[in-house]
Formats: sequence, C-alpha cells, structure tokens
Amino acid sequence: MRTRFAISVGRSVAAVSRMAGRGEGMVVGGKVTLKLAPRAIADLANDRVAVLVSATNGKTSTTRLLANAVEQLGPVLSAQTGANMTSGVVTTLANGGLDTIAVLEVDEAYLPMVTADTNPRVILLGNLSRDQLDRMNEVAMTARKWRRMLADHPNVTVVANADDPIVTYAAEQAPNVVWVAGGQVWTADSAVCPECGTLLSRDGSHWHCTGCQRSRPDPTWFLEWADSRGTAVAPDGERFNLSGLQLPGRFNASNATMALAVCEQLGLNLTESVERMCEVQAVSGRYAIVQVGDLKIRLLLAKNPAGWTELVDVMPPAPAPVIVTINSNAADGRDPSWLWDVPFERLRGRTVIATGDRRRDLAVRLLHAEVDHVVIADPYAANAPLPEAARDLDIIDNAATYTGFHALRTSAAREAGK
Amino acid sequence: MTESAIRIVSIYPTLLGTYGDGGNVLALRHRARLHGLAEAVHEVSPGDPVPTDADLYVIGGGEDTAQVAAANALRADGGLQQAAERGAAILAICAGYQLIGTEFPDNLGRPAPGVGVIDIRTDRLPQRAVGELIAKPSQFAPSGLTDYFTGYENHAGATHLGDGVRPLASVESGIGNGDGTEGAIAGRTIGTYLHGPCLARNPQIADQLLSWVTDRELVEIIEDDVVALRAERLDYVARNSSRRS
Repeated sequence: MRTRFAISVGRSVAAVSRMAGRGEGMVVGGKVTLKLAPRAIADLANDRVAVLVSATNGKTSTTRLLANAVEQLGPVLSAQTGANMTSGVVTTLANGGLDTIAVLEVDEAYLPMVTADTNPRVILLGNLSRDQLDRMNEVAMTARKWRRMLADHPNVTVVANADDPIVTYAAEQAPNVVWVAGGQVWTADSAVCPECGTLLSRDGSHWHCTGCQRSRPDPTWFLEWADSRGTAVAPDGERFNLSGLQLPGRFNASNATMALAVCEQLGLNLTESVERMCEVQAVSGRYAIVQVGDLKIRLLLAKNPAGWTELVDVMPPAPAPVIVTINSNAADGRDPSWLWDVPFERLRGRTVIATGDRRRDLAVRLLHAEVDHVVIADPYAANAPLPEAARDLDIIDNAATYTGFHALRTSAAREAGK
Repeated sequence: MTESAIRIVSIYPTLLGTYGDGGNVLALRHRARLHGLAEAVHEVSPGDPVPTDADLYVIGGGEDTAQVAAANALRADGGLQQAAERGAAILAICAGYQLIGTEFPDNLGRPAPGVGVIDIRTDRLPQRAVGELIAKPSQFAPSGLTDYFTGYENHAGATHLGDGVRPLASVESGIGNGDGTEGAIAGRTIGTYLHGPCLARNPQIADQLLSWVTDRELVEIIEDDVVALRAERLDYVARNSSRRS
C-alpha cells in the first residue's frame, strides 16, 4: 500500500519534471518513490526480474539487445533511457504490470543492492574499468563487492566475461557461471591480480597470475571477430552470424554474444534472439543521426578510456574532422584526467573540434597528443568558426560524455519538434 | 655541442597510472621538445630492474593493492633508492608520493612499509579528499616555481613530513597533506597529491625537473591552451569557494 502510494507520488513528480523540461523525470520520480517507500524495489520486483545487466561499458546497449530478444516471450519491461541507479530501477519496475518480465541495466555500484531486492534469475557481468573515479569505487573494490554479492545469492546464474580478469575475480566462486570470451581491448585496469596484486601474464586473450595461479576460466561461448564482422559461437559449436547487427563495432558484437548466452539460460530460441537483436537501431540515442543547430551529427557516447579505445575504430577515417564534447558534471565524473588515458594520438591527421565545459582540458590533452584542434564553445551555431572540412561533411561524428550526449539529444529533439 | 638525451624512467605505469598520471611523462617529453632537449623514456614493469643511472624518475598514482605491490617490488629492487642517493630527480604523485616515504596505509588501513627515499609518513585522513586542489608554492620551492599549482586530488592520506623534508606548497583550496601544506620537496625529489596530470597543468614543475637534470636555466615558454586551462580552473575554484562562504 505504502509502495503504491509512493509510486503515484513519484509519477506525479516525474511528470512535473518532464513538463519543466528537466529530462525524462525517471530519476527524480524514482527518488521520491524510494523516499516514501524504501522497500519499493523489493515490492515491485515480485520475482519477475529475469536479468540484471551490469558493466562499466555497454550495459545500456546490452540490455536493449537482450530485452529485444526476450520479447519473443511477450512484453518486456526495461528502461529506455539508461536510468540505472536504484531510483531509475524503481521507476522502470513501477511502469509495467506486476507480472511483466523485467530485463534491467544496473549501475555497477548499485548492483549488490538491486540484486538483493530483485532476486534475478541471471546476472550478466560485462566488464569493469576506470570510470568516474571521484564517485565510483576503484575498480578492484567494485569487484570485491560483486564477489560478496554473488556469495550471498548462490542460486543466481552468472553470465560473465572470462577475458576480463576483474570480472572473473568477481564471478569465479559463484556456483553457476557461464563464461563468455567477450574480449577485452582495454587492459590497463586489470594489469594486476585483484587477489594478490601480482602483475598478470597475458598471451592474447589468455591471462594468468603467477602469484596465486588463478587464470582465465575456459569459456563456453566465444565471440569471433574478423574483418569487422562478428560471429557468436555457442557451447555446442553452433555459429550465429552477427553481421546483421545495426549497432556498430566489435564491442557491440561482444555485447550481443553475452546477451545470447543469457538467452540460452532463459531457454529462448537463439536464432530468433539474434534476429531480434538485429532489429535494434539506436539505443537511447547512441549512433543516432540528429540535427543540432547548423550541423547534422552522429551521436557517440564516449565516457571513459575503455569506451574511447573501441570508439575510434567506429569513426570514419582521417582526415574527417570530429567533434568531441567533454563535460565534468556529476554523471560524467568530476575529474576528466581520464582524458590522458585515452589514446587520442589515434586521431592524428584530423582536426578535432573541442567543446563542452572541459574543452580546455581536452585541448591540452590534444596538444600533447599532437592532434590538430580548435576550441569552440558552441560549434552548432550558424557562425561558429569551424574548420572548412567540417562544413563539407554531410554528417559529422560527435563523441560526447554522458551529460553532453544527453544535452545534444534533448536539443535535437526540441528542434525536431519545432 | 651535442648533448646526450635526458633519461626518463616511468616506474610501473601498468600499476601506477590510474588517474591519468601517464600524462606526466607525455608532458615532460612535450616540454623537453619545446626547449629543444632530447629525451628517452624507459618504462619499467614490476619484476624488471629499475635502472640506477637515469636522470629523472616518474611515479604515478594507483589503487591500494597496486600501491602495496609497487612498494614491495621497488623495495626488493633497490634501484630507485640508489638513484635517489646519487641525486637523480624524482617526481611522485599521490599513491606514488606516499609509497616513496617510510610508511603508508594499505587497503585495510594497516601501515605498510614504503621505499624510504624521502622521510615522510602517511596515515589516513578522517575523510577522503576528492576535488580541485590549488596550492601556492612555499618558500622552500625552487625559485622557478612561482605560479599557483592546480590539479585534482583523490586520496585518503594524511602525509607528515620528517626532518629535512619541506612542504612544496601551501593549500589555497583543497586538502593536500591534510595540515594546510601540500606535497613535499627534499633535494631533487618532489612529491605531490596533484593529478590533472600535474605536469600538464603546471608546466613550471616540468621545466624545473628538466632544468635540474640538464643543469641549466630554461627560457619561459607559454602555450595558449595551457594558459586557458589554468585560468579556467583557478577561476572555477574561486567562483565555487566564494559561493560556499
């Protein structure tokens, strides 16, 4: 009763927030609900949460791919906006019937709490790397918390990326683990064994610790990636062609492979699952092409070094200029020193248009990477001093941190609605 | 006249580089290039010997377990201690700053032994220090350091300076060592809590290190991008602290 009342108050607040143009209202509405009824998530979960998805990168895309696949069973409840802390989870759960299957993405730090409240059937653990270090725990600490969480929930099935030593450490003692060779391009946050601190030895995607002898578990699912095409290989050797995915890049093929391993655990038809994943076009605006002011841009979310490392491959080749928006609001992380961990040297040969609140930090980083750049507060204005090559492009890639990305989506939606 | 390249050693960047501190090596190379100085960077991994005959050693920040592992590896190796005794220049940031001292807290807060190349000791702050850090060079800082230091701190250490070690700066905004001072200087060893990275946001410190190891004065070179960033960060802190008061 208390929960139902709290949800209704929360919805009203969310509606007011939407009308005031302050975002989608999910987070503020959820906050109000949780304040009034702290057990709201547990009440709403009602044993219908099929899957929780967590990772530093790719959780929104993976959740969307998975939710689309699970829809072969009927309607699925899933956040459409990437609202993934407790407040977003409660709002998502409140928005559907009490027996609708839920597939939810959860922020890394909130996963233990949400797991305790929702009792999911499967938890997907994708990857862990540095992100928002001012807010987040350091990576190893998050892994320790996940490990304790799984010890407390022995009945859950875990689908985990065996190529990420930190994720492996979190999942290795769970009784039911499906290991996926999902790949790991960014290894800087898993240089040492999270248990004993010894430098890990690596050979391709294989890794082992000479200190305590832990090593990469044997995966049963594999992603094969060649010539920019992915294939998911199932435990029985069946191959699923992922080249029909509309979400680009190796990392999305990896997301799909992990999602497919979850589909198998849920007893779904895997061929149909892949077909449904291939229908997903843009996830919460990622890779969407939108008009902002004078420019038509392709939106790319790039919020940490691991994400950036994969994203550069998705951009058109040099000398095509790109816009990079760097903010440092709470949701971006207050400290943009992670820019120094991004291999921006790979953007040499093009002009980068640096914008966002922390455009000057980006400019200094690009200076040191010897990448040509211009610093422009509003590159979308009609009279913005853009390099000529930028005006010549039909569509220009715009990579942005979280709040910059959402500001661009909002302003594109506003212009489209005019 | 031909000069040999400045030998820069980057200590355990795989272990100690969590907060963009790898940028300090990039900044040193960049400033060296601006001054027409040749340099060569040698990255050392744990288990590899630390060269004892280099000019400049750079140590970054890192997580708790990595910090303990790095301190143990460096103590066992002994190369950094020899280099320090020889008078080589050392720049150590955050966890690296703590671990070149005699003692620092491990991930459970227990005292762990440091490398001991500088007489400082670190225990825990009552509350983690996270945010912009601005500090004014102290009277003990070399004369080339005149501008405010700007950076970002993210640590839980209260650092106490022993005899013969002087504070690098006094805190204008932020926490630093925890007693109103920030960083430490002893001979040619500089330790600091400034991330940012430190040398990209404070090129005077980079130039000071390069000046020490080349034993000559360097002309002042100013870059617009860096000036704009420093001004914006100092202004940001000024605006936000006046709002608080």
